[in-house]
Amino acid sequence: MTTPLSLSGLDLPRRNGELAFDAPWQSTVFALAAAVIEHAFGGNREPFRQQLIKAIAAEPGRPYWESWTAALEALVPTLPERSTP
Amino acid sequence: MSDSTHRPAPVSPVEQRVAALEALLTERGLVPEGFIEQVTRRYESETGPMNGAKVVARAWLDPQYKQRLLADGTAAIAELGFGGPEGDHMVVVENTAATHNVIVCTLCSCYPWPVLGLPPAWYKDPPYRARMVREPRALLAEMGCPLPEEVEIRVWDSSAEVRYLVLPQRPPATEGKTEAELAALVTRDLMIGVARL
Repeated sequence: MTTPLSLSGLDLPRRNGELAFDAPWQSTVFALAAAVIEHAFGGNREPFRQQLIKAIAAEPGRPYWESWTAALEALVPTLPERSTP
Repeated sequence: MSDSTHRPAPVSPVEQRVAALEALLTERGLVPEGFIEQVTRRYESETGPMNGAKVVARAWLDPQYKQRLLADGTAAIAELGFGGPEGDHMVVVENTAATHNVIVCTLCSCYPWPVLGLPPAWYKDPPYRARMVREPRALLAEMGCPLPEEVEIRVWDSSAEVRYLVLPQRPPATEGKTEAELAALVTRDLMIGVARL
Protein backbone atom coordinates (compact mmCIF):
# COMPACT_ATOMS: atom_id res chain seq x y z
CA MET A 1 0.00 0.00 0.00
CA THR A 2 1.36 3.42 -0.89
CA THR A 3 -0.56 5.85 1.24
CA PRO A 4 1.19 9.20 1.05
CA LEU A 5 2.76 9.92 4.42
CA SER A 6 1.51 13.26 5.48
CA LEU A 7 -0.07 14.71 8.55
CA SER A 8 -2.27 17.04 6.56
CA GLY A 9 -5.91 16.38 7.24
CA LEU A 10 -5.14 15.12 10.73
CA ASP A 11 -6.46 17.21 13.52
CA LEU A 12 -3.52 17.74 15.83
CA PRO A 13 -4.92 18.18 19.32
CA ARG A 14 -3.27 20.88 21.35
CA ARG A 15 -5.27 20.58 24.54
CA ASN A 16 -4.34 18.85 27.74
CA GLY A 17 -6.60 16.03 28.80
CA GLU A 18 -8.55 15.73 25.56
CA LEU A 19 -11.37 13.19 25.38
CA ALA A 20 -9.83 9.87 24.54
CA PHE A 21 -12.80 8.00 23.11
CA ASP A 22 -15.15 9.09 20.36
CA ALA A 23 -17.80 6.42 20.96
CA PRO A 24 -18.79 4.06 23.77
CA TRP A 25 -17.75 0.95 21.83
CA GLN A 26 -14.21 2.30 21.75
CA SER A 27 -13.93 2.54 25.51
CA THR A 28 -15.62 -0.86 25.76
CA VAL A 29 -13.09 -2.59 23.53
CA PHE A 30 -10.31 -0.83 25.42
CA ALA A 31 -11.67 -2.07 28.74
CA LEU A 32 -12.24 -5.58 27.37
CA ALA A 33 -8.59 -5.76 26.36
CA ALA A 34 -7.66 -4.60 29.86
CA ALA A 35 -9.93 -7.30 31.32
CA VAL A 36 -8.28 -10.02 29.22
CA ILE A 37 -4.78 -8.80 30.08
CA GLU A 38 -5.60 -8.64 33.76
CA HIS A 39 -7.81 -11.69 34.22
CA ALA A 40 -6.67 -14.13 31.53
CA PHE A 41 -2.96 -13.36 31.33
CA GLY A 42 -2.23 -12.24 34.88
CA GLY A 43 -1.24 -8.73 33.80
CA ASN A 44 0.97 -9.81 30.89
CA ARG A 45 0.30 -7.40 28.06
CA GLU A 46 2.53 -9.11 25.52
CA PRO A 47 -0.02 -11.54 23.98
CA PHE A 48 -2.41 -8.68 23.28
CA ARG A 49 0.33 -6.38 22.09
CA GLN A 50 1.53 -8.95 19.58
CA GLN A 51 -1.98 -9.28 18.17
CA LEU A 52 -2.33 -5.50 18.01
CA ILE A 53 0.93 -5.19 16.10
CA LYS A 54 -0.31 -7.83 13.63
CA ALA A 55 -3.71 -6.18 13.31
CA ILE A 56 -2.22 -2.76 12.60
CA ALA A 57 0.34 -4.18 10.17
CA ALA A 58 -2.40 -6.08 8.32
CA GLU A 59 -4.42 -2.95 7.67
CA PRO A 60 -2.42 0.16 8.48
CA GLY A 61 -5.19 2.50 7.36
CA ARG A 62 -7.88 0.93 9.52
CA PRO A 63 -9.29 3.11 12.31
CA TYR A 64 -7.30 2.55 15.46
CA TRP A 65 -9.96 1.11 17.75
CA GLU A 66 -11.10 -1.24 15.00
CA SER A 67 -7.59 -2.67 15.03
CA TRP A 68 -8.02 -3.21 18.77
CA THR A 69 -11.25 -5.06 18.03
CA ALA A 70 -9.52 -7.26 15.43
CA ALA A 71 -6.63 -7.92 17.82
CA LEU A 72 -8.97 -8.95 20.59
CA GLU A 73 -10.96 -11.20 18.26
CA ALA A 74 -7.72 -12.90 17.24
CA LEU A 75 -6.65 -13.29 20.85
CA VAL A 76 -9.87 -14.78 22.21
CA PRO A 77 -9.44 -18.28 20.69
CA THR A 78 -6.00 -18.51 22.31
CA LEU A 79 -7.16 -17.64 25.82
CA PRO A 80 -5.99 -20.01 28.50
CA GLU A 81 -8.78 -21.94 30.18
CA ARG A 82 -9.69 -20.36 33.47
CA SER A 83 -10.86 -22.24 36.51
CA THR A 84 -13.85 -20.64 38.16
CA PRO A 85 -12.98 -19.20 41.55
CA MET B 1 -24.46 -14.71 15.65
CA SER B 2 -27.08 -13.72 18.17
CA ASP B 3 -26.36 -10.88 20.49
CA SER B 4 -26.89 -11.77 24.12
CA THR B 5 -25.81 -8.56 25.84
CA HIS B 6 -28.14 -6.32 27.80
CA ARG B 7 -27.20 -3.24 25.83
CA PRO B 8 -29.38 -1.53 23.24
CA ALA B 9 -29.09 -3.05 19.77
CA PRO B 10 -25.78 -1.94 18.28
CA VAL B 11 -25.86 -0.23 14.93
CA SER B 12 -22.51 -0.50 13.19
CA PRO B 13 -20.69 -3.75 12.40
CA VAL B 14 -17.81 -2.88 14.69
CA GLU B 15 -20.22 -2.15 17.54
CA GLN B 16 -21.76 -5.56 16.98
CA ARG B 17 -18.34 -7.19 17.06
CA VAL B 18 -17.43 -5.42 20.29
CA ALA B 19 -20.77 -6.38 21.83
CA ALA B 20 -20.14 -10.00 20.82
CA LEU B 21 -16.69 -9.87 22.41
CA GLU B 22 -18.15 -8.38 25.57
CA ALA B 23 -20.79 -11.12 25.77
CA LEU B 24 -18.25 -13.86 25.17
CA LEU B 25 -15.67 -12.57 27.64
CA THR B 26 -18.31 -11.88 30.29
CA GLU B 27 -19.59 -15.43 29.89
CA ARG B 28 -16.06 -16.70 30.48
CA GLY B 29 -15.92 -14.75 33.73
CA LEU B 30 -13.22 -12.36 32.58
CA VAL B 31 -15.21 -9.14 32.90
CA PRO B 32 -16.38 -8.50 36.45
CA GLU B 33 -19.48 -6.40 37.06
CA GLY B 34 -18.65 -2.72 36.59
CA PHE B 35 -15.17 -3.39 35.23
CA ILE B 36 -15.69 -1.59 31.91
CA GLU B 37 -17.08 1.54 33.54
CA GLN B 38 -14.30 1.52 36.10
CA VAL B 39 -11.52 1.24 33.54
CA THR B 40 -13.06 3.88 31.31
CA ARG B 41 -13.48 6.30 34.16
CA ARG B 42 -9.93 5.72 35.31
CA TYR B 43 -8.42 6.51 31.95
CA GLU B 44 -10.77 9.32 31.02
CA SER B 45 -10.62 11.31 34.19
CA GLU B 46 -8.01 10.03 36.59
CA THR B 47 -4.97 9.71 34.41
CA GLY B 48 -3.81 12.25 31.93
CA PRO B 49 -1.10 14.75 31.13
CA MET B 50 -1.76 16.53 34.43
CA ASN B 51 0.08 13.65 36.12
CA GLY B 52 3.15 14.02 33.93
CA ALA B 53 3.02 17.80 34.39
CA LYS B 54 3.37 17.33 38.16
CA VAL B 55 6.41 15.12 37.63
CA VAL B 56 8.03 17.69 35.37
CA ALA B 57 7.29 20.61 37.69
CA ARG B 58 8.73 18.72 40.65
CA ALA B 59 11.89 17.95 38.65
CA TRP B 60 12.25 21.62 37.71
CA LEU B 61 12.02 22.66 41.36
CA ASP B 62 13.91 19.91 43.12
CA PRO B 63 17.33 18.99 41.69
CA GLN B 64 17.52 15.86 43.83
CA TYR B 65 14.16 14.67 42.57
CA LYS B 66 15.29 15.34 39.02
CA GLN B 67 18.39 13.25 39.62
CA ARG B 68 16.27 10.36 40.90
CA LEU B 69 13.85 10.80 38.00
CA LEU B 70 16.57 10.51 35.38
CA ALA B 71 18.21 7.60 37.19
CA ASP B 72 15.05 5.55 37.78
CA GLY B 73 11.96 7.01 36.17
CA THR B 74 9.55 4.36 37.41
CA ALA B 75 10.52 4.79 41.06
CA ALA B 76 10.60 8.59 41.00
CA ILE B 77 7.23 8.77 39.26
CA ALA B 78 5.81 6.32 41.79
CA GLU B 79 6.91 8.73 44.55
CA LEU B 80 4.17 11.05 43.28
CA GLY B 81 1.66 8.23 43.28
CA PHE B 82 1.60 7.44 39.56
CA GLY B 83 2.23 3.96 38.28
CA GLY B 84 0.59 0.70 37.51
CA PRO B 85 0.07 -1.13 34.26
CA GLU B 86 1.68 0.46 31.20
CA GLY B 87 4.07 2.44 33.32
CA ASP B 88 6.26 -0.14 34.94
CA HIS B 89 9.47 0.69 33.08
CA MET B 90 9.55 4.42 32.65
CA VAL B 91 12.61 6.15 31.28
CA VAL B 92 12.73 9.95 31.43
CA VAL B 93 14.81 11.71 28.79
CA GLU B 94 15.91 15.29 29.37
CA ASN B 95 15.85 18.10 26.83
CA THR B 96 18.77 20.52 26.91
CA ALA B 97 19.75 23.52 24.84
CA ALA B 98 21.64 21.15 22.55
CA THR B 99 19.31 18.11 22.56
CA HIS B 100 15.66 17.55 21.82
CA ASN B 101 13.93 14.26 22.63
CA VAL B 102 10.75 12.92 21.09
CA ILE B 103 8.82 9.69 21.69
CA VAL B 104 7.12 7.41 19.21
CA CYS B 105 5.97 3.80 19.02
CA THR B 106 6.75 2.48 15.56
CA LEU B 107 5.02 -0.89 15.98
CA CYS B 108 1.78 -0.03 17.69
CA SER B 109 0.96 2.64 20.23
CA CYS B 110 2.96 2.08 23.41
CA TYR B 111 2.69 5.20 25.50
CA PRO B 112 3.39 6.20 29.12
CA TRP B 113 -0.26 6.00 30.17
CA PRO B 114 0.05 6.66 33.91
CA VAL B 115 1.67 10.03 33.28
CA LEU B 116 0.10 11.06 29.98
CA GLY B 117 -3.25 9.26 29.84
CA LEU B 118 -4.34 7.85 26.50
CA PRO B 119 -2.40 8.74 23.38
CA PRO B 120 -3.75 11.40 21.03
CA ALA B 121 -5.11 10.22 17.67
CA TRP B 122 -2.12 11.38 15.64
CA TYR B 123 0.31 9.45 17.86
CA LYS B 124 -1.40 6.24 16.81
CA ASP B 125 -1.54 7.05 13.10
CA PRO B 126 0.88 5.56 10.57
CA PRO B 127 2.25 8.92 9.28
CA TYR B 128 3.51 9.92 12.72
CA ARG B 129 4.85 6.46 13.54
CA ALA B 130 6.79 6.21 10.28
CA ARG B 131 7.92 9.76 9.73
CA MET B 132 9.10 10.53 13.25
CA VAL B 133 11.78 7.92 12.75
CA ARG B 134 12.63 8.72 9.14
CA GLU B 135 12.50 12.50 9.10
CA PRO B 136 11.93 13.82 12.62
CA ARG B 137 13.17 17.33 11.90
CA ALA B 138 10.78 17.85 8.99
CA LEU B 139 7.85 16.33 10.86
CA LEU B 140 8.50 18.36 14.00
CA ALA B 141 8.59 21.52 11.92
CA GLU B 142 5.25 20.60 10.34
CA MET B 143 3.82 20.01 13.79
CA GLY B 144 4.78 23.52 14.85
CA CYS B 145 8.07 22.66 16.50
CA PRO B 146 10.88 23.83 14.21
CA LEU B 147 14.33 23.18 15.63
CA PRO B 148 17.60 24.89 14.76
CA GLU B 149 20.01 22.67 12.81
CA GLU B 150 22.46 22.59 15.72
CA VAL B 151 19.93 20.97 18.06
CA GLU B 152 20.35 17.21 18.01
CA ILE B 153 17.09 15.24 17.82
CA ARG B 154 16.83 11.93 19.66
CA VAL B 155 13.89 9.72 18.77
CA TRP B 156 12.88 7.13 21.37
CA ASP B 157 10.92 4.14 20.14
CA SER B 158 8.64 2.91 22.92
CA SER B 159 7.95 -0.77 23.48
CA ALA B 160 6.13 -3.01 25.90
CA GLU B 161 9.29 -3.05 27.98
CA VAL B 162 10.17 0.64 28.10
CA ARG B 163 8.01 3.76 28.02
CA TYR B 164 9.62 7.15 27.61
CA LEU B 165 8.68 10.56 28.92
CA VAL B 166 10.35 13.78 27.81
CA LEU B 167 11.50 16.19 30.50
CA PRO B 168 11.21 19.60 28.82
CA GLN B 169 13.55 22.46 29.64
CA ARG B 170 12.32 24.82 32.29
CA PRO B 171 11.29 28.07 30.60
CA PRO B 172 13.26 31.21 31.45
CA ALA B 173 11.86 33.77 33.88
CA THR B 174 9.93 31.25 35.95
CA GLU B 175 11.85 31.75 39.19
CA GLY B 176 9.56 32.03 42.18
CA LYS B 177 6.72 30.15 40.56
CA THR B 178 5.07 27.43 42.62
CA GLU B 179 4.97 23.78 41.62
CA ALA B 180 1.33 24.12 40.59
CA GLU B 181 2.07 27.20 38.50
CA LEU B 182 4.93 25.42 36.80
CA ALA B 183 2.81 22.31 36.17
CA ALA B 184 0.26 24.47 34.39
CA LEU B 185 2.92 25.33 31.79
CA VAL B 186 3.58 21.69 30.94
CA THR B 187 1.50 20.28 28.10
CA ARG B 188 1.14 16.77 26.80
CA ASP B 189 2.89 17.72 23.56
CA LEU B 190 5.92 18.96 25.50
CA MET B 191 6.20 15.60 27.25
CA ILE B 192 5.87 13.67 23.96
CA GLY B 193 8.45 15.99 22.48
CA VAL B 194 6.44 17.49 19.63
CA ALA B 195 6.62 20.91 21.24
CA ARG B 196 9.40 22.84 22.95
CA LEU B 197 9.29 25.70 25.41
